[in-house]
Amino acid sequence: MGQLRSISEFRALYDRLNIVRNRKIPTIIISAGTCGQASGANDLIRIAKREILSRGLANKINLRITGCHGFCEMEPSVLIEPHGIFYPEVGLEDMVRVVDAVSRDAVLEDLPFKDPQTGQPVIKQSDIPFYKKQLRLILSRNEKVDPIRIYNYIENSGYQPLIGILDNGERDWVLSEVKESGLRGRGGAGFPTGLKWEMLAKQNGNAGKYLVCNADEGDPGAYMDRSVLEGNPHSIIEGMLIGAYGTGATEGVIYVRNEYPLAIKHLIIALRQARELGLLGENILGTDFSFDIKIVKGAGAFVCGEETALMRSVEGRVGEPRQRPPYPVEKGINGRPTAINNVETWANIPVIFDMGAEDFAKIGTKNNSGTKIFSLVGKVKYTGLVEVPMGTTIETIVNDIGGGPSGNARIKAVQTGGPSGGCIPSSMFNLPIDYDSLTKVGSIMGSGGMIVMDDNTCMLDIAKYYMNFLKDESCGKCFTCRKGTQRMHEILDDITSGKAGMAHIDLLAELAEVVKDTTMCGLGNTASNPVLSTLKYFRNEYERHIWDQRCDSFVCKEIVGAPCQSACPIGTEAWRYVAHIAHGEYEQAYKVIRETNPFPSVCARVCDHKCESRCKLGTIGMSPVAIRALKRFVTDTIDPMTYKPERMSSNGNGERPIAVIGSGPSGLTAAHYLSLKGYKVTVFESESIPGGMLTCGIPSYRLPRGILDKEIESLVDENVTVQCNTKLGRDITIDELFNQGYKSVFLAMGAHKSRKLNIEGEDIEGVYPAIQFLKDFNLRGEKIAKGRVGVIGGGDSAVDAARVALRQPAVESVTILYRRTRAEMPALATEVDAAIDEGIKLETLVTPLKIRSRKGKLSGVDCLRNKLGEMDASGRRNPVPIPGSEFTAEFDTLVVTIGDVPDIEFIEGMGIEVTEKGTVKYDSETLATSRAGVFAGGDVVTGPNTVVRAIAAGKKAAAMIDRFLHGQELKQPSRAGIPGHYLPPSGLSDEELNEIRRVVPSTVDMRYRTSSFVEVEQTLSQEEAAREARRCLRCDLEFTQPAEDKAEKIGGKVA
Amino acid sequence: MINLTINGLKVSVEKGTTLLEAAQFFGFPIPTLCHMEGLSPYGACRLCVVEIGEGPKAKLVSSCTYPAEEGLKVRTASRRVVKARKMVIELLLATAPQSKVIQDLASAHEVRQQRFRQEYEDCILCGLCARMCKEQMMANAIGFRGRGEKRSLGAPFDIKNEVCRLCGGCIYVCPVCMLRCTYTEPEKAICGGCANIGPPCVEKEKFNDMMCYMEPCVACEIRKE
Repeated sequence: MGQLRSISEFRALYDRLNIVRNRKIPTIIISAGTCGQASGANDLIRIAKREILSRGLANKINLRITGCHGFCEMEPSVLIEPHGIFYPEVGLEDMVRVVDAVSRDAVLEDLPFKDPQTGQPVIKQSDIPFYKKQLRLILSRNEKVDPIRIYNYIENSGYQPLIGILDNGERDWVLSEVKESGLRGRGGAGFPTGLKWEMLAKQNGNAGKYLVCNADEGDPGAYMDRSVLEGNPHSIIEGMLIGAYGTGATEGVIYVRNEYPLAIKHLIIALRQARELGLLGENILGTDFSFDIKIVKGAGAFVCGEETALMRSVEGRVGEPRQRPPYPVEKGINGRPTAINNVETWANIPVIFDMGAEDFAKIGTKNNSGTKIFSLVGKVKYTGLVEVPMGTTIETIVNDIGGGPSGNARIKAVQTGGPSGGCIPSSMFNLPIDYDSLTKVGSIMGSGGMIVMDDNTCMLDIAKYYMNFLKDESCGKCFTCRKGTQRMHEILDDITSGKAGMAHIDLLAELAEVVKDTTMCGLGNTASNPVLSTLKYFRNEYERHIWDQRCDSFVCKEIVGAPCQSACPIGTEAWRYVAHIAHGEYEQAYKVIRETNPFPSVCARVCDHKCESRCKLGTIGMSPVAIRALKRFVTDTIDPMTYKPERMSSNGNGERPIAVIGSGPSGLTAAHYLSLKGYKVTVFESESIPGGMLTCGIPSYRLPRGILDKEIESLVDENVTVQCNTKLGRDITIDELFNQGYKSVFLAMGAHKSRKLNIEGEDIEGVYPAIQFLKDFNLRGEKIAKGRVGVIGGGDSAVDAARVALRQPAVESVTILYRRTRAEMPALATEVDAAIDEGIKLETLVTPLKIRSRKGKLSGVDCLRNKLGEMDASGRRNPVPIPGSEFTAEFDTLVVTIGDVPDIEFIEGMGIEVTEKGTVKYDSETLATSRAGVFAGGDVVTGPNTVVRAIAAGKKAAAMIDRFLHGQELKQPSRAGIPGHYLPPSGLSDEELNEIRRVVPSTVDMRYRTSSFVEVEQTLSQEEAAREARRCLRCDLEFTQPAEDKAEKIGGKVA
Repeated sequence: MINLTINGLKVSVEKGTTLLEAAQFFGFPIPTLCHMEGLSPYGACRLCVVEIGEGPKAKLVSSCTYPAEEGLKVRTASRRVVKARKMVIELLLATAPQSKVIQDLASAHEVRQQRFRQEYEDCILCGLCARMCKEQMMANAIGFRGRGEKRSLGAPFDIKNEVCRLCGGCIYVCPVCMLRCTYTEPEKAICGGCANIGPPCVEKEKFNDMMCYMEPCVACEIRKE
């Protein structure tokens, strides 16, 4: 490589390179940045080389090894030019086929990216949603050049802008172009680059001036600078050369973290090549312009990204910020004028001079021109580097480019700007991102890290994580930054472990403001942002942690305890009875269950088992312990009489009668616990038999009547009277109850009125609301379904109604119509499976339009087909009708189960306020209604909900009524349910754990299922139960295991 | 000369004067901990913050390091300043409650509560000792080590530095250990913190013979007993 001595020599080189280059030869481009190499790109390169050489394709296929292409989720990826074919996640065998396909100019049909929605292959890179909405001014250059070949950069018009400037550009023109482009510093603060350069140019430069490229990228989760340095180092060198020409700087410094070995390697090679070609050093290309760049490696202190600390670090001293003014432009490295820009800013300079400042300024929004690279990471489907014009909304980046949530949980927030940034809630996702808008909402652009968080992310945990990071990475000079971050971490740690009080929130906020105010440098000024923004947008999570001692994301271990227990609305110690079962102690297991749950046999059959969905085994990728089946085993094995509830009567409780309206799970639970406290309770039931929804809603093949009746019977003791056929509003009023001497009333009437579809023909004979249909059968044994039965809805009662209909003699077929897909159905998945097994048809993505009749009788339903559209507030995708997809489904019976509401029109006349949704208005913490002494809980306040939630409400009501009658404060902080009883581990080895599969309870033969109401699911055998119970990971041991046992385990003595 | 306004008073000072010097010269008191005449300003304790600028651009800066600028409007005791200062003192109290200097500060600024978990540190890392050692004693025997939570003051690798002349200057300027307790009998001591005294660079055994102008030297007294 000879040195070029003039501009014309450079141009000659460029021409020569372009003559030699054959653009028609296909090129295999392998993305081999650090991330690509980590996922195996080096092996692909080796295979590609071997294949090309061994098959003699060296003249027919080019191979280009480049830096990162940005689509990290799909690494290692391969791109084929000239067609732009993109192969994601290429395996070693695939690579052989890729080379073969390229040699034949063919496309491999099975390899390309598959659209997650349609499942269709997307062959071209530019058609992939991830790339489609980006504007990749900088990143797309990574694909074009091999970073260690300067000729590669030159033949792609590299160094052309510089040549143009050297040839005839004036210094002032360079400055005015950068100013006109509107480029702002990409390091995060957004200072106009042109202005900075102009200030530097004005400084006296006799002793020399410095230009610095700040590549001390230390934000957790941000790596765009690394990818540019690795993939296109010459663009940085060119940017700095242009900057030096414009500002008169004489020396350049690239300050790069030592943790970026590949970037440093590529930079060293690039600098050497540029020097050898005469593009760096004295008299560049024979002109009188001289400039050279050296690399300074940072030792990894986060604070060295701050410019004054960076300068001290370059000088060889401890990286510690100092007061500005004087600004670096006046007094920088070694006291000389210095301008510091971020990697991405420098990479933008050649782009600006390539496309022209005017065109560049048109990209983006006003005052925020150009593009910005974000590193999109976290709980998003497609992580990677995303380059979009300024002013793109978060929504576009997260949902369109990132493909939405990676799992089933709803996206809750994004965190931008690393430790100095803030969290932006999903309600603000239509925010166009630029420097100013982000600052306004309490975050910052920072270097462009964007971490997506979903409901499984605890915002306090995030804030704590950043405080932990900052307390280590603060330089420690400013007392308030050093101690402030420590103290904020300490307070957050106290809150997340349940040791804090409500006053801590105010103290935290106060401290955060002061830290922000009183610190010297950018790190300290922004250090409180994670705390302040989470306090601003997620204050309820703070309050939940402190007041309720709950972490709804199940992250904060100290207050979550065992997830199964924490997830249970009534706090059942699932781990404890599972452990008892493993040890064969069934009676103790029953006592544990019964202690918190007055309806153990009911819940063992119909509970929606939140415990299982939070089971650690499930969240680490295996199947959760079958907790409900184990509970069923215990309740079926043990005589309920083994449990004798503890009675704790206070003075005078017997003289305070209480009325409970409704004898469902909520009402009876309240009555039971009030009775244990010695109160006399009368339960008023409108139907002829007690049980509420348990009796009239849940069919007997799921919950046999004998078992239910026994359970109800056990709760009706000497203090409890059940008065059936008495309906509030019809037979009694609240005033009457108080007049009769009742001291308090608990409203638990449930939701017994079916919602209507509000379409034409709903009143025709043969159309039944779900409640009526189920009650007719469950209470009165009337079998009203006939012929072809349709069920509209996707909840549990839809499946119940369908399976009840199927068991009626005059029924030919049953079809469930649901407007979204199976995945969105709220019904329990096992119930849906069972229904399908029994021969029930499931029609999804269907909306009923009109009910047809013939001779006054139902004949069918006109429907429209849907497809899934945008995400709604619940995180489910909304159905969107497909025009012209109308069809008619023929039915003889139609059951409408689209949700129930409380039947309480009369209640406002009794002084009880009602919400817009038609439920009783109440305080969710105290269950108090608008009328003193009247409490409400269960479905009547929440709308249709689960049995276990109703039980929880009943328990709470009993406690609140007791407090109310004793004149105590209703609102009292709750304590986290942390495991407290030590039970020795059952000692299952990892191998066994991997071998044993989750037990599947056996079911009754299909012949009996469709024709009778015999219980479908069977109880576990003793062996099955013991084996299943031993699968439990015993999360409780962390809290209960005695210290000596733990020590023994560490010593490896436990078999 | 540079013209600026301090608390509404129009003043002019020489170029290079810091806001702290200017305010003190014109009679506006600003509390400090890490500042000492004769040592270079450092800006570690953040007690001396003052508010500059106006409207949304108003901000707090440490007056000991901020140079007087033409037309600057300075407020040394605005609500924001007082609030911040009180929090700084509360944090100081939470860190080193045994220091008489800090106790006096708290009392003078009516800080009556300390809501953080109590610590008993014997250093607040104000850096006075290191600057004293370097700038006045020309020894440069001690300095800062580490960063963030792990930052500490002392000789490199905690080995007695041969440039240390045992002058005691570091102890003399320390706001946390000096004067925090002049009693040497533990039962009379107000906090007992002095028993933990750890001079940054010298070994306690040599205190007996050292050329020390501290009178009485707390550490030596302890040794003699």
